Amino acid sequence: MALPPILLVLLFVGFPVVLALAFSIGFTGGLNSIVAMIGLNVHHADNWWGTFAAYADVFSNAQFLQDLLVTVVVTVVSAVVVLFMAMGIGLYLRMRGGWLANVLSGLAVVPLFIPVVIASWAILTFYSGDGFVRSVFALVGLQGPTWGYTVIAIVIGSVWTSLPFAVLMVASGLQAIPDAMIEAARDAGAGFVRIAYSIMMPMAFIPIVIAGTFTAIGVIGSFTVPYFTGPNAPTMLGVTLTNYFTTYNEPQQSIVMAFTIFIAAAGIGAFYVWANFRSAKEQGRV
Amino acid sequence: MAATTEQIAPETAAVRLGSESIRRSDGRAGAVLGKVLIAIFVVFMVLFILGPLLWLAIHAFVTNWTFPNLWPDGWTMRWWTTVFSDPALGAAVQNSLVISPIVVLCSALICLPAAYAFARYDFFARRTFLVGLFATNAFPKMGLFATLASLFYALNLMNTVVGIVIVQIIGTVVFMTWIPAAAFAGVPRSLEEAARDAGASKIRVFFTISLRMALPGILVAAVMSFLASFDEAQGTYLVGAPQYFTMPTEMYTLVLNYPKQVAAVFSILLSIPSVVLMLAARKHIMGGQLAEGFQIR
Repeated sequence: MALPPILLVLLFVGFPVVLALAFSIGFTGGLNSIVAMIGLNVHHADNWWGTFAAYADVFSNAQFLQDLLVTVVVTVVSAVVVLFMAMGIGLYLRMRGGWLANVLSGLAVVPLFIPVVIASWAILTFYSGDGFVRSVFALVGLQGPTWGYTVIAIVIGSVWTSLPFAVLMVASGLQAIPDAMIEAARDAGAGFVRIAYSIMMPMAFIPIVIAGTFTAIGVIGSFTVPYFTGPNAPTMLGVTLTNYFTTYNEPQQSIVMAFTIFIAAAGIGAFYVWANFRSAKEQGRV
Repeated sequence: MAATTEQIAPETAAVRLGSESIRRSDGRAGAVLGKVLIAIFVVFMVLFILGPLLWLAIHAFVTNWTFPNLWPDGWTMRWWTTVFSDPALGAAVQNSLVISPIVVLCSALICLPAAYAFARYDFFARRTFLVGLFATNAFPKMGLFATLASLFYALNLMNTVVGIVIVQIIGTVVFMTWIPAAAFAGVPRSLEEAARDAGASKIRVFFTISLRMALPGILVAAVMSFLASFDEAQGTYLVGAPQYFTMPTEMYTLVLNYPKQVAAVFSILLSIPSVVLMLAARKHIMGGQLAEGFQIR
């Protein structure tokens, strides 16, 4: 029964990934032969273990290294900001509750309703040279910042689109903490900060890790948000690898970049798996 | 009578709130500071989340907007007729509304049995498969552009609706497997066993108990899958262009070639289905069905 989706994924994702890996190290025969014929600057392997010439191309490219740095910085900053906002909203919802807390969590979930293409476009126009933010500044005679087509806009867009999932995850983790524990800590004289730090965060560790890692994995490979809101260069790798494939017609180099993102995402994913299994062990489920 | 209760209610609420905040914080000053901070944060959130959406939505109804005015130059419905009279845009709307339901249905048929299996049976490498399904989302789809295209050409799926459906299903597999799996796992085994003891057949137990109790989770999965399919642009463009355009792929060309107002109209149209669906499933999504689905068990 579990086989159909696994077979589907193996055929339409797993198999192309293997093909892509072979292509990136110079195996240009079989199904790869058409791409190898059309593409520019394709390296062919002349032995059985392949060639790493395409990897050397990419990793000696200053532009790529700059884009890699931008990708990492945007990912880390976005994940940290999203986690802080989600924790703030989640803690407020858990400790105080009330209609204001509901309004806050309701607001944070709104981006889930909006397709990413539209969100990116809306954010670009809001922070652009003739957007709302600059208009408000101009109203009081100030020169406002133009964030459209900058890395800052990418971070804003990434935070905007990632917030709902993180808030849902963290809030549900915090809601699951029994009232009795919080009451006991409060009776023992613990303040808001102390309760948040030594009870809520350790108890909701898994949901917080999931929120953080999923945000990071989503941001690191994103294309739409940086494509619409970001600068032409330097930009995030999702955009760069698309450019290498469509504009520069260098498929091999494009695939090398995709593997770079995938390995980074896999590293983040490993942290998520580790956290899940640790909690499963603690609760005696393994 | 009604008036008096209305007067009393806010007072008692205020007294209750007040006493609680005194009890919970160090003193009056701390409580006031906290309230001011919260107020600032709420205003910031309203601007941050809703600001861009409102700003874009208003653009759909304006003739022109001169910087730095906070009020547009004039109002018009002209852009709506532009969108509705353009055959390419109309076709994109139609394609999206036909393809996405097909994707959700196929995805459910393929994934729901698997979700049940993941929840109820312990089989070889079960967790590895669960994580593996998620890994498909972590690989940047654009990186598969070249080899996926080769595969689709070899299978004669290029520029076909079937090809688009397959590409979009890939993006929904995680939602359709993980969230219903958690929902099925949440159905108490004792209930199923009780029904079996009462003489119900296995199939009857599945449809009247397991499936019915897991329905909220499946509903959330279906909504998330619909959105993922409706939102999918890169794979659809790769497989569908230049034969088939859906709304998101059309949006890419739109923002480059049309005035801002047309893109705004299109954005509103593109948001309607997702907003309607999400509002319908809001209770279950906020209620933790989504969050529950992403914890590996």
